[in-house]
Amino acid sequence: MAEDLVLDTAIRDWVLIPLSVVMVLIGILRYFVSKLMRSYQSPDAKVVKEGQVVIRARSLRAAANFIPLKSFRARRAYFSNEENGLLYVPKGQVPNAQAQMFSDPNMAMDMMKKNLSMIIPQTLTFAWVNFFFSGFVAAKIPFPLTQRFRSMLQNGIDLSTVDVSYVSSRSWYFLNLFGLRGLFSLILGEENATDDTQRMMQMSGFGFDPTKSLSAEKDSLDIVQHEWALPKFEQRAEEVLRRLVS
Amino acid sequence: MAGHEDSGASKKKTADSSNDLPTFNAENLQNNMKIIYYSRTFLSIIGGVIAGILGYTGLTGFVFYFLIMAITSLGLAAKAKFSIHSYFDCWNRLLLDGFLGGLLSYVLFWTFAYDIVHIF
Repeated sequence: MAEDLVLDTAIRDWVLIPLSVVMVLIGILRYFVSKLMRSYQSPDAKVVKEGQVVIRARSLRAAANFIPLKSFRARRAYFSNEENGLLYVPKGQVPNAQAQMFSDPNMAMDMMKKNLSMIIPQTLTFAWVNFFFSGFVAAKIPFPLTQRFRSMLQNGIDLSTVDVSYVSSRSWYFLNLFGLRGLFSLILGEENATDDTQRMMQMSGFGFDPTKSLSAEKDSLDIVQHEWALPKFEQRAEEVLRRLVS
Repeated sequence: MAGHEDSGASKKKTADSSNDLPTFNAENLQNNMKIIYYSRTFLSIIGGVIAGILGYTGLTGFVFYFLIMAITSLGLAAKAKFSIHSYFDCWNRLLLDGFLGGLLSYVLFWTFAYDIVHIF
């Protein structure tokens, strides 16, 4: 039954547009509030040192073929030597770093603040939408959906013969929630607080980073096969010059 | 529009193509990835509004989305003067990265424009 319902213009004026505008404004507000509330953690010297060591090891791995074999081996021994190599972390130290990261009160507070600043506006807006905008058809989705989506999208509408494309304002809210993320990344600069899952992953990965990545770097450094590229450079220089001259 | 052109103009060379073993400047590569992302997001929003105004429904709308993404890829490749390897590390990054990321924004603006123009 695809008859076209004619919907009141007032719905468009007072539901669709205000809801979108409110969500955009709340997103902007949340961005600025999180910027203001961000507490600056002074970086731990040990963590920074380990990060730099990892970066050095990575550059060595990437550019290994540009240095002679002996110097590569010397550098590699410096990193992965059993006794005092930079990448070698004795097993005893491993659980310490993790426990410290978790019980660090600053970090816990930070995570909680970020979670709250994410959840509260969403909950409030959802409650507002449910209270004011329920019980009528708000919009029509331009593509057809199966009957299974009916209960999800049409929760305020109690007629079962209405096409599933006609949705309630709750689903308009969810559509806005996901669709405005792209808009926010355009108008607010870099990827910001609206992408919550990604940031939570980053935050939880911070504590484990030093120890695991050190041993990972050590392993990958051990695997590298060295092939000195310098002997071939004369031929390549010859090719390049030929191309330039001809 | 200004944002789109600005970001397109600042692609940087990532690979020094005079070596056999290509080295990549990671920061420039990331910058170029960001440019691709912005371009795709912007065009998916604009494409959504266009699709809504033109009254596409159902499958036509999704086909239009893929068309917009293809045009984006073509435009980005043209901007990089088709010498992909001096700006990115492989073709796939230019063509497929962020392909489906703009879908939700596209659907939102498509629904919005369609409703405003055709239903109300």
